[in-house]
Amino acid sequence: MPEGLALQAKGLRKAYRGVGAVESLDLEVEAGTVLGFLGPNGAGKTTVIRMLSTILRPDAGWFTVAGIPHDQPIQIRRRVGVLPESAGYPPGQTGRDWLTFHAELFGRSRGDARATARRLLAEVGLAERGGSLISGYSRGMRQRLGIARALVNDPRVVFLDEPTFGLDPMGQLQVLELMGRVAREHGVTVVLSTHLLAEVEQACDRVLILHRGRIVAQGTVAEVARRAAAPRRGLVKIPPELRDRALEVLAASAVLAVAAHGDRRGQVVVSTPAGVAPERAASLALGSLLEAGVPVLGFAMEGGRLSDAFLAVTEDADGQRR
Amino acid sequence: MASVDDRPIQEGRHAWRVVAGRELGDLWLGGRGLPLLLAYTLLLSVTSYLVATNQGLNFLEQREAVSLTLQVGVAVGALLVLLGAADSVSGERERGTLESLLLSPAPRRALLIGKAVAALSLWAAAWIVSVPYVWYLGRGVGVVGVAVASSLAVGSLLALFLVGYGLAISTIASSNRVSLSVSLFVLLALYAPTQMPTAMQYSWIGELLLRVDPFTAGLRYLGKLIINGHGPGQDAVWLVGPTVAVVVVTAAALILADRLNLHGGVQT
Repeated sequence: MPEGLALQAKGLRKAYRGVGAVESLDLEVEAGTVLGFLGPNGAGKTTVIRMLSTILRPDAGWFTVAGIPHDQPIQIRRRVGVLPESAGYPPGQTGRDWLTFHAELFGRSRGDARATARRLLAEVGLAERGGSLISGYSRGMRQRLGIARALVNDPRVVFLDEPTFGLDPMGQLQVLELMGRVAREHGVTVVLSTHLLAEVEQACDRVLILHRGRIVAQGTVAEVARRAAAPRRGLVKIPPELRDRALEVLAASAVLAVAAHGDRRGQVVVSTPAGVAPERAASLALGSLLEAGVPVLGFAMEGGRLSDAFLAVTEDADGQRR
Repeated sequence: MASVDDRPIQEGRHAWRVVAGRELGDLWLGGRGLPLLLAYTLLLSVTSYLVATNQGLNFLEQREAVSLTLQVGVAVGALLVLLGAADSVSGERERGTLESLLLSPAPRRALLIGKAVAALSLWAAAWIVSVPYVWYLGRGVGVVGVAVASSLAVGSLLALFLVGYGLAISTIASSNRVSLSVSLFVLLALYAPTQMPTAMQYSWIGELLLRVDPFTAGLRYLGKLIINGHGPGQDAVWLVGPTVAVVVVTAAALILADRLNLHGGVQT
């Protein structure tokens, strides 16, 4: 295995009753990375996380976590921390007791486990509520408690499966800030499965988009956004009385397909033809308009964000399947 | 601080005690065990009152009264164990807490052994509660010592059988409802041979059923010791069925424990 890889997988496959959930997944994640793990509902994200955390056994393929091969599940579990999707919490226990219990399960002595629980409760902002029953915790508090539980073993890799699901905007912000702090202060690799694309853009170094059990895009956030959601359309603002002239010019340039934009006579939508780089297409379009004496009052390319990439790659994948 | 993965692996020796500690706390401090024990105590009180009254009317000989009360105590005590065991894994599965348990490096067997200890504590508590009733009903006929010791032995054997059985079902059941229904259905089936007509009970097939069924065999053995005054070894053959059953269900529970998974069923 190449040095510095926190996660490596080759040909991972999992099916439930004959229906493929994950199809031949190859993956490499360097240590210290914060990986945004994206995909529509049912894409297979939770199944991948469960396989990598040894909760589910893959039907085919292999993987390593922190250099430990998949056939040593107990050793892997010693090195991973997981906040499961829709994790349950025992309502009749206090947060402190619950964390102490889990720390003890990782082989810590009772005293060490209690100290670990106290430290982690403080770290996730629950120091004052540690002695309260979990039944009295809000959903956000439970999620933070779950993140604390994922850290009781000082893991090398942390999987957070939809940690912001069901939280209000403030709760989402708190959980994402906590995740960023965990990644920085603990120096761990974080795999964040979420639907919050804007937060992934801000918090993650790399992103992986899964769709129907296959990886459809991966790389840095900028790479994926650029590669998968290269701007395909641009909006040119021109004087309304010159719209027809602009359409003629653009049609003659043979570079861009041209469409009038509804009843807004001062705007023209240009589309990038297949095989032409968007930047070049834009230059040609604007150049030909200016050469023809049509003033360009404004120009904006659409796309180029992670959310565009997400939609583009998942729609492309659907299109290919059809 | 040393990372947990740098420490020597303590494996199941440590983990089962941790799980047992938490389960015992949940059971007895969390409010599940005490109501069950209260109901058990009420049942035993009613039974004792009825048999004592019958004794007064000479319908029941004193030894029979002790035996009947003990049989009820052992049967219901074992039922409590079955309820505890049948809920143990499928309950966690249903409450969504199983995954975090499975994410620990503790061996699956250790998790189940810890849960078994907690379920067996219900029997221990039930047996302790039964002792004063046995003393009250059996005083003066020299049966108290035998009754207390034999109920501990037979009841423990049946409790072990039911805890293994309950855990095995709970491990593979996809829901708590399924686990509890199947467990109780089988327990009722185990009582069925006692409802056979008397003539059939004395036929070879009836006798075989009574001996093979761990429940009927155990309770018969108890009756022979208390009512007939037999020695412990005299009818020990009646304990073969329960002992074999304990070995079989324990082995099955341990094998299934290794395949314990998130969704139930048997993962190969």
